[in-house]
Amino acid sequence: MRNMLAIADKELRSYFASPMAYIVIGLFSLLFGWFFYMYLMVFVRQSEQMMAMGGGAAANVNQSMIRGVLQNAAVVILFVMPMITMRTYSEEKRSGTIELLLTSPVTDWQIILGKFFGAIGLYVAMLFVTALYMAILFVYGHPEWRPIAAGYLGLLLMGGCFISAGLFISSLTKNQIVAGTITFAVFLMLWVISWIGESSGPITREVVSYLSITEHFEDFARGIVDTKHVIYYLSFITFGLFLTAKSVDSERWRG
Amino acid sequence: MIDVQHITKRYGRVTAVDDVSFRVERGEILGFLGPNGAGKTTTMRILTGYMPPSEGRAAIAGFDTFDQPIEAKRRTGYLPETPPLYPDMTVREYLDFVGRIKGVPPKQRKDRVAEVMQRVHITDMAARHCAKLSKGYRQRVGIAQALIHNPDVLILDEPTAGLDPKQIIETRELIRSLAGDHTIVLSTHILPEVSQTCQRVVIINKGRVVAVDTPQNLIARLKGAETMFVQVDAGSEDAAVALERVPGVTRVTVSEQPGVAGGYEVESDRGVDVRRELARAVVTRGWGLLELRPMRMSLEEVFLQVTTEEKPEEATRA
Ligand SMILES: Nc1ncnc2c1ncn2[C@@H]1O[C@H](COP(=O)(O)OP(=O)(O)O)[C@@H](O)[C@H]1O
Ligand SMILES: [Mg+2]
Repeated sequence: MRNMLAIADKELRSYFASPMAYIVIGLFSLLFGWFFYMYLMVFVRQSEQMMAMGGGAAANVNQSMIRGVLQNAAVVILFVMPMITMRTYSEEKRSGTIELLLTSPVTDWQIILGKFFGAIGLYVAMLFVTALYMAILFVYGHPEWRPIAAGYLGLLLMGGCFISAGLFISSLTKNQIVAGTITFAVFLMLWVISWIGESSGPITREVVSYLSITEHFEDFARGIVDTKHVIYYLSFITFGLFLTAKSVDSERWRG
Repeated sequence: MIDVQHITKRYGRVTAVDDVSFRVERGEILGFLGPNGAGKTTTMRILTGYMPPSEGRAAIAGFDTFDQPIEAKRRTGYLPETPPLYPDMTVREYLDFVGRIKGVPPKQRKDRVAEVMQRVHITDMAARHCAKLSKGYRQRVGIAQALIHNPDVLILDEPTAGLDPKQIIETRELIRSLAGDHTIVLSTHILPEVSQTCQRVVIINKGRVVAVDTPQNLIARLKGAETMFVQVDAGSEDAAVALERVPGVTRVTVSEQPGVAGGYEVESDRGVDVRRELARAVVTRGWGLLELRPMRMSLEEVFLQVTTEEKPEEATRA
């Protein structure tokens, strides 16, 4: 535990020591802010129209606005996450600091989990900035907080999957640009795969939508926490970390 | 303290280390001498638990580097060929981090960091980022991180490579001052380096141990003599005496090559060609000269490849 924290701490500090963390957070907040603004405008117009048509039920901000924002955020995350994970292992291999880690009295798993939670730390900082936008809604209105919390839990788990897959890909090469590119391509595939599902037969659709990381986020965005999806995400994360451990170990044998 | 038994390491089809065994006693400085590609780094990586050997085993303080890696690593400090620094950390942050993962207790860490910085004279650089350090300072920070947890064993891979002459002298002095408290293995491809810092030398070439001896003996073996192999069809006593009388010959030993009768190894002063005289000595006594050839020991082969002289400005003082 102590060792894992030492490594997580080191990872987190190295993100913030380079411009990368600020670029990632800045870019993400900017895009998130833009989606937030667009959906807010649409929502306001809808509400005005309904009022003009003679009262009726006020539009539900959770369903008509936050859901859309979160779904778009999920896609943005898919784009920025490779920038976070690409250097985790690659850079240590390139610079030779991996020799320091692997000859220290720490286990492979402590290193892997340290790197995983370090990246999660940066990701949480990203999400925290977006939570400030959400706070605006609470100042001017009365959205339900539970669906929002569910949405954020979903974002956290989904991001965890991206990080664990990114960690694995980074452990395969000492070139961080290669790692970043492959990671991006894989994430894109995991996202695009859901479109293939839509235009094919029922069984394929089932399988494909099960594989698509973003598909599992749908319910979270709607504000529903379904254990089915939680388990899917947690299994995905575990599997990614397990592959990373295998990759580190086989590298050790090959030299 | 260090026990290496029959380790072999293969990278695919390349055998980088081939059946290497040696022991290092507590407090000793052992030099690992060999040309580039001899397998020095590979051996050290196995000793430090970075990679397992394909065959054989290595133990640090009785702990197998593969079966009990955590225990073995706790007792080992390692300076890889390139110091493993994080460019965006300051020297102090870096040493503190290394202390953390090497298991230095939190309360002692600040003091330990200050201590090792003083020990290798980098206290002035404490707040500097590792990326901005000169080659000499990088190397010192590398040694400092190897010392941070006060390990029993220090493994230093080419600690003076790429340094300027003054830094080389300082580094060697530092290493000598660390002996006693630590058991040290250092690798080098420079012959004078081992004679100045090490008590014992393992010479390695193409993955195999060629010789293990004190630096003095090795240098004597190198400089002292040229060796001829002579085979004669005569009684051994007489022949040995006769060969020894030849001017320039310093020593004659009966060859231990199996299945060879009447073979002698004749050592002579370097630069004196005794072949003609040896042949005359044999023939004038009426014996048959079956063979006469210079012996090139594999040890010499290695010495031909390692750097046997430092550039004049390098060696002047140390
Ligand atoms: N990771 C590796 N993969 C394949 N071959 C390697 C690897 N590392 C070293 N070698 C080979 O093993 C041999 C020994 O290398 P090394 O241990 O680095 O020697 P030294 O440190 O004495 O220069 C060399 O022939 C080298 O090319
Ligand atoms: Mg080497």
